Amino acid sequence: MSTASKKAPLLHARGVTKRYKSLTAVDHVDLDIETGEIFALLGPNGAGKTTFIGCVAGLVAGFGGSISIAGFDVVRDYQVTRRLIGLVPQELNQDVFFNVRDVVAIQGGYFGVRPDDPRIDALLESFSLGDKRDANTRWLSGGMKRRLMICKALVHDPVLLFLDEPTAGVDVELREELWEYVLNLRARGTTIVLTTHYLEEAERLADRIGILHKGRLRRVDSRADLLESFGRSVIEVALSSPMTTPTREKLRALPGVLDATDLSVTIDALVGDANAILEVIIASSARIDTVRTHRSSLEEIFRDIITQEDAMDASHKEADAEGEGRA
Amino acid sequence: MTQEIDAATRAAIEKAAQRRIQAIVEEAGNPNHFGAWTLFKREFLRFWRMSRQTILSPVITTLLYFLVFGYSLGGRLRDIDGVPYIDFLVPGLVMLGVISNAFMNSSFSLFISKIHGVLVDLLVSPLSYFQIMFGYVASSILRAMIIGGAIWGVAALMGASAWFNIPLSLLMLVLTALVFALLGLIVAILAEDFDHINLVPSFLITPLTFLGGVFYSIKMLPSPWDTVSRFNPILYMVNGLRYAMTGHSDVPYWQGLVCLVALSFILGAIVLWLLRTGYKLRD
Repeated sequence: MSTASKKAPLLHARGVTKRYKSLTAVDHVDLDIETGEIFALLGPNGAGKTTFIGCVAGLVAGFGGSISIAGFDVVRDYQVTRRLIGLVPQELNQDVFFNVRDVVAIQGGYFGVRPDDPRIDALLESFSLGDKRDANTRWLSGGMKRRLMICKALVHDPVLLFLDEPTAGVDVELREELWEYVLNLRARGTTIVLTTHYLEEAERLADRIGILHKGRLRRVDSRADLLESFGRSVIEVALSSPMTTPTREKLRALPGVLDATDLSVTIDALVGDANAILEVIIASSARIDTVRTHRSSLEEIFRDIITQEDAMDASHKEADAEGEGRA
Repeated sequence: MTQEIDAATRAAIEKAAQRRIQAIVEEAGNPNHFGAWTLFKREFLRFWRMSRQTILSPVITTLLYFLVFGYSLGGRLRDIDGVPYIDFLVPGLVMLGVISNAFMNSSFSLFISKIHGVLVDLLVSPLSYFQIMFGYVASSILRAMIIGGAIWGVAALMGASAWFNIPLSLLMLVLTALVFALLGLIVAILAEDFDHINLVPSFLITPLTFLGGVFYSIKMLPSPWDTVSRFNPILYMVNGLRYAMTGHSDVPYWQGLVCLVALSFILGAIVLWLLRTGYKLRD
């Protein structure tokens, strides 16, 4: 990352803000995305992910702040930036007047790709739509419609690809295929930004992760750092015979013991002294059945961060209210 | 599967990306005529592939007017201002077909793209606002001209003679189609459901067209309706075309031309402004 960060980022966003009447969908987002990264933008529903992507891709006008791609402003130089960008929108759409191949050829045509370009058929083959090329898009299944949308987004060979919930409602097979395809795209220089509900997707693909919550970008970190700084390593001890209440109380008083019940003890491995805790258990009448360690998943980390941020928002609000009360 | 990328791979990726960015930036320097042509072709194919519904049906409907009014009324009216009623009727009916179909084509096509979500595909494209307007408007003009031409031609086969000034007739028709295609775009951009799309033809276009002298001369109207009619812009369009086709008109034909050119500029400016601000499209 250290060498890349010296270069100009591919996507450079500063103070991006989009308001809808009383709602601020995107709130002063600053974000840099480097060339060749796979970046996952995570957040609960309504966090502002799709609106932010819309601002970059040209689907949302009238936002504050600035966004540039490879140094080109997305508003002023839209004719350049829209060629650099490919977008797979979240909402499935269908062009009922045309067949699969026509739809991809038309989309390419908007970008100057000729209808006989071999790229069109190659894309359809890569996404297993070759035998559906003459079918009207109306009759495609949900998964096929999603594949078709991916073909449309890639037909002009963009260098920055946005995948907004690309695997929502898609079978496992396509999910795996798409992940592999994404890695291939990156290998030939495509930068990928994805939003997803499947945290597993972000965990497996993303180099860096940004967490958007209530329109604000709360964390941006490499996947590894995020897992390390927010992840917990937990030791779960299961007992074959129950502990006495005094032993339980004693354990609960020890640092790093997250929970102690009749038949189990949960320990935060980083905080607690596992030796001391286990010694207390062994010294008691209880007998240990199994000991398991468990690292928290991105999903748990994500939940923790959101909960933390909600608590902070609430305390800020309280502080504001108190301040106003005094005034 | 997660891949940690080493420095050499990252450098190769960077290089590949830079090469592609450069190529794209160079290409973006050229005007994207092919993009505009693609939108026009898409819009043309959309109605052409359904031509029974989009061409044949309106032609037949309009010709029914011709039969009913031309032969039933024609027998009683004989002529208006020395023009046989059957000839008098041709420009009115051609106008009727052109106006309603130019409006229908652009409004319906853009609105259905909005509803089906495919408008997104156009909005993320590098097409300029003008090119988007051109694609929709030019295809709507083409459809309106095919229909208008068919009505004109079939009317001639049925014995009408309306060939006074063909170039002027074509000019009037193209401009009329342009005005109503632009109006259709505005309505489609603002509309939130299909009712809104039908509101304008039902309550504005159709009444104004019928009251605009399609079937009669305003000289036949009692006062004050002959004067009231003069506030109807469609009257000038119909009469402009009537002059071009038959050599006779209630108002000077240039007033029709001025009205059409002025409306084209005003509505065109509104469409471009709506597309530029993204109002209701890029929310």
